[in-house]
Amino acid sequence: MAETAVAVHAPGAGEIARKRPYIPVFVILAVVTGIELAITQPGLPEIEHSLRIIVLVILSTIKASLVIAYYMHLRYEPRWLALIPLAGLALVAVLVTALTATVAHP
Amino acid sequence: MAHPDSVDEGGEEHHGSPWPVVIAVGMGIGYVGIVSASIPILVVGAAVFAAGAGGWVHVDMERPSRAFYGLAAAIESRFPRVSARKLALWLFLVTEIMFFSAIIGASWTLRLRTTTPGAAFQAPWARPGEILNVLLTGANTFILICSSVTMVEALAAIERGDQRKVRYFLLATLLLGITFLSIQAFEYQKLYFGDGLTFTQVPAHASEVNKLYGPTFYAQTGVHGSHVTAGVLALAYVTRKAFKGGFTKDNHEAVELVGLYWHFVDVVWIFLFTIVYLI
Repeated sequence: MAETAVAVHAPGAGEIARKRPYIPVFVILAVVTGIELAITQPGLPEIEHSLRIIVLVILSTIKASLVIAYYMHLRYEPRWLALIPLAGLALVAVLVTALTATVAHP
Repeated sequence: MAHPDSVDEGGEEHHGSPWPVVIAVGMGIGYVGIVSASIPILVVGAAVFAAGAGGWVHVDMERPSRAFYGLAAAIESRFPRVSARKLALWLFLVTEIMFFSAIIGASWTLRLRTTTPGAAFQAPWARPGEILNVLLTGANTFILICSSVTMVEALAAIERGDQRKVRYFLLATLLLGITFLSIQAFEYQKLYFGDGLTFTQVPAHASEVNKLYGPTFYAQTGVHGSHVTAGVLALAYVTRKAFKGGFTKDNHEAVELVGLYWHFVDVVWIFLFTIVYLI
């Protein structure tokens, strides 16, 4: 039983692995990190503070999504598995909402 | 080499190892020590925990790593199967998401509450680079990203059955992880003892900065650093097992699971680096 289960897991894994874009993802991660560092360096044209925060949050979300999708293989897993981290994100949304509400009305 | 008592004739694993129980008892004693603020009880708990972890690693080092499908197989008609261990690891990662959200959320709330005009104890937050060395940590971020690539390449190598590459990529990941921790230790040492960023004080050259800057910085980067340390220990284990030939093309789930944890620690750092160093 366990043997058949392993057999289901194994075939074609090598084939799929070769096609996965690990190096292009790495290049994007490195370039985006460089952009993040560049826009926070002094001496460059000053970007408005709130705009900079929005840009930085978007850039880090792109990086995190790439790592989760490709390096953590969530793109290649059965769809339902993504519900687990999404449930975690839903809980984070509740926490952020609660914290924001208490900051707005201390 | 499989232990005769751990695998029956059908090749199915028994899950009769006592070591997880020892680990759980050690953690229980440790928590009693923390709650009662008793160092001796905490030390006893840590010792039992370490003995349990050591025993488990010792037994597991000799076994092939194999996917266990367990309950997931029973409901496979509705859901394509995922190994029970992988499912459990993803559930564990959700608890980690909540843990880090609590630490980061608390720090961010403290920052917002004490920097808004009119707030009690109002003082400005440090600008990016005013206290922290952003370029050094930027380089450290790059090192962590590199370690994620070597980790995923190690998994790809063993999926092809390439014993040589899995060893070298795992070793590279381990060394990159140790490098990250070493740079962080250097940074802490310089900030705390050199610049004077402590839990209650800010550096003299940035004396107007909010006194909460230090504690929130050390809390957020410290819990992440402790997770990297745990990841390095796990990497040391899979690297050792890989060099002993413990993984094959079909049996290598430990590499995948340690990889998932390692990438998760990288994801947390991606956000922490932005929040703590760049904003």
